[in-house]
Amino acid sequence: MTSKMSDKTLQDAYRGSISKKDLTRMAVNPGALGMEYSWNYPKQMSVPFCLMLNPLLKKIYKDDPKGYSEALQRHLEFFNITMYFAPFVGGVVASMEERVAKGEMAPETINQVKAALMGPLSGIGDSLFLGTLRVIAAAVGISLAVNGNPFGPIAFLLIYNIPTFLTRIIGAHKGYELGVSFLTKAQESGLMDKVIYAAGIIGVMVIGAMTVTMTSVSIPIEFGQGESVQTIQSVLDGILPGTLALVALGLYYWALSHKVSPMVLIVITMVVGVLGAFTGVLA
Amino acid sequence: MLMQALLIGLVAAFGTLDTALGTSYIQRPIVLGPLVGLVLGDLQTGLIIGANLELLFMGAISVGAYIPPDVITGGVLATAFAISTGSGLEAAYALAMPIGLAALGIKNVFYAILPLILPIADHGAQEGDDGKIKLTYVLLGLFGKTIWTFTLTFFAFFLGSDVVTAALNSVPSFVFDGLGIAAGILPAMGFAMLMRMIVNKKLIPFFVAGFALAAFLNLSVLAVAIFAVVIAIEKLEFLDERPMVARAAVGIDGGDDDDF
Repeated sequence: MTSKMSDKTLQDAYRGSISKKDLTRMAVNPGALGMEYSWNYPKQMSVPFCLMLNPLLKKIYKDDPKGYSEALQRHLEFFNITMYFAPFVGGVVASMEERVAKGEMAPETINQVKAALMGPLSGIGDSLFLGTLRVIAAAVGISLAVNGNPFGPIAFLLIYNIPTFLTRIIGAHKGYELGVSFLTKAQESGLMDKVIYAAGIIGVMVIGAMTVTMTSVSIPIEFGQGESVQTIQSVLDGILPGTLALVALGLYYWALSHKVSPMVLIVITMVVGVLGAFTGVLA
Repeated sequence: MLMQALLIGLVAAFGTLDTALGTSYIQRPIVLGPLVGLVLGDLQTGLIIGANLELLFMGAISVGAYIPPDVITGGVLATAFAISTGSGLEAAYALAMPIGLAALGIKNVFYAILPLILPIADHGAQEGDDGKIKLTYVLLGLFGKTIWTFTLTFFAFFLGSDVVTAALNSVPSFVFDGLGIAAGILPAMGFAMLMRMIVNKKLIPFFVAGFALAAFLNLSVLAVAIFAVVIAIEKLEFLDERPMVARAAVGIDGGDDDDF
């Protein structure tokens, strides 16, 4: 990314509709800072991610209300990430939205790239920020506060938040620059289709893995007698672990393809859950 | 007492805004403890209890889809009861986790209902009206976090912990459990929606591969992602000396890739 060609590309990039200032603002706007406030099970961080991008989308699709509306809908799909990396993804996505707006890229590529980024970045981010930085900040803060020193909580907040805010701001710029130079290179060398296919591979593999790790439901019914008591779940796990998650995904996919409203599906899920707990079929 | 209960409720409500202010961890006991202390006129005790509860709740952070015991209500109420009854650190220790877990039950109820708000945002997007998306954001946060946290901490402190525990116990457990189960299934709906956007015939085998790696080998999402990157590089021959287009132009010159 440091070659002369890509430096020139970057200078060109900022001559477009998005400026460095726009990216800095995006990194600390209410959407970027509120990734978890509206957290919910089915779509997790979708709403704040969409709001984080909203000001940039307005600029990119200034004269294209239909494109703007489609972009908003695109970014209301499932999203989850270690929140401090969200502006980085936002920067990458902004560079792609510019191409979609010019008709140079298929819109579904954007969600493939988002899916490809959220898994790996969350893995790194959770251990870096939640696992490491938070523990260091807490250790310093606690050692002061147990002695009644009011600087303890302040030290805790500063040690934790200075790096996280820097990550947001630098991330937004790096994400955008990376997106622009990578996509320009890919286009010049004629590899764009390949790049899109690669993003799709990584994206769906990550979704496949998340289906297993982020969905939790089991059938605890026991059968057999004495020593040989087994649960249905243990039999299922013996054949294909994560069966129920896959079945749920399949049913939702089928229902959504048949235009069943998500609202109805949520209510059905709640009824199934409560009935399942009442009868002891599900846990 | 009423005034103090209101202020305790506000401290907890302020804690819920943590996630609107960059997940900056103002919700942690080490921060909210001293604030409770200030409200009750004993900053020192608040600081000390807050620091100790911070240690107790060290593992209670949301990673991935894990929803930990509710740190805000647990931390705030335990500190408040310990200071107001003068019973000190031991009482705070004993109360914090049970309160946090009971609050998690209530949280699950709200989290199960919460997705019903989401269609407002979808309508807004279809109309190109970002106001409705902002409204969705605010409603999700208020109902998912701020309103019940304020109400619960206010009444709990005003009525005392015994009354609140009794009230919670009167709800049949299968209701909380059932909504918890629904909450565990709902992410599959998010994935189904995402799949409908991005999947095509060529990509289905890779979904199966990702699923199987996580299901059979218990690999983490990061591990699967690393394999995915390797597969993508290998499949598309990114690292080959000559780019694919160039090779296609000269025709197939076998080399080491005869089996491809």
